[in-house]
Amino acid sequence: MPDIIIETKEVSKLFGGLTAVNMVNLEIPKYSIYSIIGPNGAGKTTLFNCISGFYTPETGEILYFGESIHGSATDFIASIGISRTYQNIRLFSNLTALENIMVGQHTKLKSSWLDAILHTPRFSKENKKSRSEAIRLLKYIGLVNFGDFLACNLPYGMQRRLEIGRALANEPQLLLLDEPTAGMNPHETKEMIKLIRQLRDELEISIILIEHDMRVVMDISDQISVLDYGKKIAEGTPKEIQANPMVIEAYLGPGGAALAKKYQDRRRKNA
Amino acid sequence: MNSHPIRESFQKGIVFAAIMVFMMLTGFHMIAATLVSKIFGFYVLRGSIPEIRFMTYIHVLFGIWAGWSASGKTGKISTRIFRGLVAGFTAGALIALFDLILNFLIQSGTDIRQYLSALSFESMNYFLLNLGQIGTLVHLGIYTATGLAGSALAVFLRSESVQHGWQNLKSNTSTFITRKTETLPPFLQKYGKYLLYLILLAALLILPTMWGSYLNFVIGLVGLYTIAGIGLNIIVGLSGQLVLGFSAFFAMGAYSVGLLNAPEPHNLMWGFWPAIVVAILMAIAAAVVLGLPTMRLRGDYLAIVTLGFGEITRILLKSDTLINLTGGPRGILDIHGPTLFGKPFTSDVDYVYLIFAGVALSIFLYNRLQDSRTGRAWLAIKEDPIAAQATGVNLQKYKLIALCIGAAFAGLVGGISAARNQFTGPNDHTLMASINVLSLVIVGGVNSIPGIILGAFALKGLPEILREVQNYRQLAFGALLIVMMLMRPDGLWPSSRPLIEKENRSQTEENKTDEGGKDA
Repeated sequence: MPDIIIETKEVSKLFGGLTAVNMVNLEIPKYSIYSIIGPNGAGKTTLFNCISGFYTPETGEILYFGESIHGSATDFIASIGISRTYQNIRLFSNLTALENIMVGQHTKLKSSWLDAILHTPRFSKENKKSRSEAIRLLKYIGLVNFGDFLACNLPYGMQRRLEIGRALANEPQLLLLDEPTAGMNPHETKEMIKLIRQLRDELEISIILIEHDMRVVMDISDQISVLDYGKKIAEGTPKEIQANPMVIEAYLGPGGAALAKKYQDRRRKNA
Repeated sequence: MNSHPIRESFQKGIVFAAIMVFMMLTGFHMIAATLVSKIFGFYVLRGSIPEIRFMTYIHVLFGIWAGWSASGKTGKISTRIFRGLVAGFTAGALIALFDLILNFLIQSGTDIRQYLSALSFESMNYFLLNLGQIGTLVHLGIYTATGLAGSALAVFLRSESVQHGWQNLKSNTSTFITRKTETLPPFLQKYGKYLLYLILLAALLILPTMWGSYLNFVIGLVGLYTIAGIGLNIIVGLSGQLVLGFSAFFAMGAYSVGLLNAPEPHNLMWGFWPAIVVAILMAIAAAVVLGLPTMRLRGDYLAIVTLGFGEITRILLKSDTLINLTGGPRGILDIHGPTLFGKPFTSDVDYVYLIFAGVALSIFLYNRLQDSRTGRAWLAIKEDPIAAQATGVNLQKYKLIALCIGAAFAGLVGGISAARNQFTGPNDHTLMASINVLSLVIVGGVNSIPGIILGAFALKGLPEILREVQNYRQLAFGALLIVMMLMRPDGLWPSSRPLIEKENRSQTEENKTDEGGKDA
């Protein structure tokens, strides 16, 4: 299907005896917001690391626009338009916010160290373009007037946004967001949801999202997959996932589904 | 509540007394007195004793310092002065006690130089200002009085009116300067920067001819270490790879120039300029050989492997294996210098010009590189290699480029210094050379050109100028490092990041005003 941007086919990743990701099949449609949820240690981030090339899966294949990117280097994967953010923020903390974005443009620029020494026309043109582009992105993520702050001096919410800005500088087609609203207050979370929607609607980027905040997940996802112990246990729209007893048991433990049903019934009776 | 600051003053006095006693025990007071006499313009022959009054000056200065530091910044004026007095008296009393021991040693004629080599009778007498028993009392008097004076001075200089006046003076001068620059003719406003560069250039051209050959030698050394520091900074400061085998690249450069431009062992005599190009290329080749396998390593592992590379290079050059090729432990003698427009480089002045050109070139290259895609990729690798790779930076490639460019700088330095010294040998390229360059970068300030120049002065220039303290260099060095880590953990002149957004904003504003002018 041409509408699939990335597809994982029976991907498994082992750490010694532990199967972190177990035969996972995913098909992510273009221009969608696709969430991956699951309890801690379910293998969500490991799956991200497989897609972005940090790990090479033991079995299976990852197809990007129908072509295998299995075993490719991380920098190559970035250069074909897959960007990501991290669960624990990984900015270049002693560079300014703008410089962080400019590092993000790396794959989009071509001038080499020799161009930089000789100040060739190519260098000057690219340098100018890169600066204006970076400032435009800075405005887009709402960090105007914070561009010259060191990344480590920015408040937490801004650091999260800046990380997304750095990922956007790569002009990605696919964006992997690893818990973008972790540790945010309700206001910041709202802003972040707005930004993620904008990315899809305005920039036409497909987004895979790992998230623990169910309000966020249910609010913005087009589709959701649930991982538990490395296995995909459910897939579907937010409504379907909410009603799925397997998912409830994964979160609440065995018997959880029955318990949840009981409480739901009681609430309905009281109302 | 009042007893606490007084106790502190006691402690201050004890510390100052202890420092003074240790200075005396190591014989450092004589060195310090020699330096002071040099400041006053009296040259002291090596091994002879400076005049007594300079020792008195040292005691006085020390007492004032003790009083100053004991007086504190807040509190009642009378208390603060009293605190200085207490510190001075404590220091004086303890030193007087020490004096009693010295007097006993002198009178009984006990020679304990076997244990404390610096504790000669001359040195003891000199410490006591040649006054013997009376010196004890004089010390007590001096320290008490100067402690009092020091605290009074501190109270006065830290008083509000003086501070206020000082602030006023500072702001007045700065507004005066800005007003003056605003009233300058537009020509000067626009090209004033270049004019300053021109003056600097002229100064750099004229000064070496006036300095004399010794100072030129020292300045040349500082310049060479500056180039090396900038080169190593590209590797360590920008790309964040801790490479300790930098001396191997010096060796490549020095031996290239040596082998190609000396009568022995090969008598090739290519001339300096082709040889220096080969020197740079050889250094780069060495960097590729070292870098291809090792640039996958990180941190400590890379440091150890590169350290090994440097040592292997040195030992190979020293060994008999390559004796026919490189001259073995004897090194290469009589390396010929460069000739420019038919004029051979003979004096130190010529080399200083050459080295200045090298420094200018390296600063130029560094500035262009660090504000570029490559430079930012290096910084990203230093900050977080994994995130850098995930933003598309090819780690191996960029680390290797950094290593090669840094090595090229080292090859240049090695080549020039071989020609300047007319000699190179394996002992010029020890691990200590690498560590010296690394420490000057760190002491001066990583990623900061003025910092690196300052660091080169502090670590290579000062020891040359202060030959008297040579024996105490390691001691002073250790003290300097500790003080620096406490006071300036980012180096003498820390770097700062460029303010791109601000620059851009002012540029767009300028454009707007330009357009506005056109509309009107």
